[in-house]
Amino acid sequence: MNPSALTSESAKSKDCVFKASGLKKEFDDGSVQALRGVDFSIAQGEFVAVIGPSGCGKTTLLQMLGALDRPSAGTLLYRGNSIPDLPDPSAYRAHEIGIIFQAFHLLPTFTAVENVQMPMFETDRSAVQRSERASALLKSVGLDHRLNHFPAKLSGGERQRVAIARSLANGPSVLLADEPTGNLDSENAHLILDLIIRLHRENNMTLVLVTHDMTIAQRAQRTIQMMDGRIVSDQKATLTPAEI
Amino acid sequence: MIFFTIVVRGLLRRPVRTGLTLVGISIGIAAVVALVGISRGFEQSWASGMKARGTDVVVSNMGSALSPKPFSSTVRDRIAKLPNVASACSIFVDLTSVEDSSMMVVSAREWGGFSWQNLKLISGRMPNDAMEPVVVLGQTAAESLKKKVGDPIQLEAKELSVVGIVDGGALVENGSVILSLALFQQITGNEGKINVIDLRATPGMSEDDVKRLCVEINNVVPEARAMVAGEHLGNSQAYRFIRAMSWGTSLLAVIVGVLGVMNTMLMTVFERKQEICILLAIGWKRGRIIRMVLLESALLGFLGGVVGVLIGTVGVKVMEKLPAIHGLLEPDLSARLVVMSVAIAVVVGVISGLYPAWRSSRLSPGLALQG
Repeated sequence: MNPSALTSESAKSKDCVFKASGLKKEFDDGSVQALRGVDFSIAQGEFVAVIGPSGCGKTTLLQMLGALDRPSAGTLLYRGNSIPDLPDPSAYRAHEIGIIFQAFHLLPTFTAVENVQMPMFETDRSAVQRSERASALLKSVGLDHRLNHFPAKLSGGERQRVAIARSLANGPSVLLADEPTGNLDSENAHLILDLIIRLHRENNMTLVLVTHDMTIAQRAQRTIQMMDGRIVSDQKATLTPAEI
Repeated sequence: MIFFTIVVRGLLRRPVRTGLTLVGISIGIAAVVALVGISRGFEQSWASGMKARGTDVVVSNMGSALSPKPFSSTVRDRIAKLPNVASACSIFVDLTSVEDSSMMVVSAREWGGFSWQNLKLISGRMPNDAMEPVVVLGQTAAESLKKKVGDPIQLEAKELSVVGIVDGGALVENGSVILSLALFQQITGNEGKINVIDLRATPGMSEDDVKRLCVEINNVVPEARAMVAGEHLGNSQAYRFIRAMSWGTSLLAVIVGVLGVMNTMLMTVFERKQEICILLAIGWKRGRIIRMVLLESALLGFLGGVVGVLIGTVGVKVMEKLPAIHGLLEPDLSARLVVMSVAIAVVVGVISGLYPAWRSSRLSPGLALQG
């Protein structure tokens, strides 16, 4: 945890990672309401799937959780600290969370190992330490034979593995995934989902995964269903952890 | 991988565009090197010519022309009487076309004056007397005019003959047509007129003493101005105009370079909008994005500066060989000018990158999730 990002409030809210109350987000001077008063809380180590049709506000919600955008109204806390009021949102993004994008978003002019090093530039690690850690992370996602390949030379599944390794670069406690299997075939989607769930379990990370695919959502411990900017259901999984 | 690697990759992403921008900024810097180098070299050539003649003080009236304005030859006698003046030599110097050469220094010197003493004969002989219708040529002037001892030479309407080729010990001296002052005054109808007096101060005088002597001369001779040798050219309005034009032209070329770099960096930022948003989304601080863009543009400027110095240097060397100015210029391609030119290029790069860097820092990391 970067001390500049959060205050001692975090100690009080050890188990509650995110807490939202009356969260709203409007665009175009209020003509578009992406979130219309959302309330929820997410505990440490939980795997939450956020599902809903396109335009229901799930990606907007993920942006709020990642401090990528500011809410129009309501409160959103991370371990007791208001995310919109963080003194250094970039430190929060660099150290507290890891983001996995649907379109991978790797930098095309950098190799796999270089892409994974990118978030580490905001740490005190030396160039050698960055390189060693990036190699180890790529090895952990099964890409030790692709370290020096550029994204264009990797398959979709491999690219998403690099993106996952990048999201873990600074050892975050939360993973935010936006349709992480949306651009993959069913076989790769299955493998990537397995990988994300394995990492979530091994590292006791909180995982918030946005998807419109019910089969993926079924593997989560909890499913938040959204519609027209509101939460319409919030259910614990019916599957046992072993089945998940 | 270090941060600089990211900066370099940013430039290599579009090699053709980066190359074209480099050419743009290089031309600007080449103009600085060539024009400023030549104008400074012009000044230095005259200064080294003075040094070769052993002149401590030059009395002239540079006015607005490139060659000094004529004044009465009686001024020489008034100055020669002053204490601390060891010797004086009247000169009429003109920049004029001589036969095929469009611009050449014609240096007419007081017969028997000390300004003849530095000339070393390479071939032929010196004039026998003040009115003998002959000239001696500096070795570069002889090459430019394709003259040898015994050849005729046309000066104004008079045909003279070349009796000697000399080494004057400095570029300006070697590029000159040298003759007796009395003969030149007769040919050009400038009897009783001179436009330069070379002075030698009493040996052992300090620099401050020489400056004091200049002040004293200026009090005695209001129609001309005494200056320490080498500094007199800077007093010329024409030379100042040339120098200002050199800087002005260079500045224009540099501004074109600035616009080129700014355009490239803006295009880079627009093109890499998504990438920049991703970097912000994965935790990069806005300051790091600004540093990345500024370093890219500074590096572009630096490389443009280095290439520009090379182009400028080669260009000046080629220009030196041109018949029109061969032997007249000794361009100043000093380390100082090279460092200054590269520094200008880097500053140009940084300035050009300021707006694109500011634009890049305004991007929202949230856009990363929208593409």
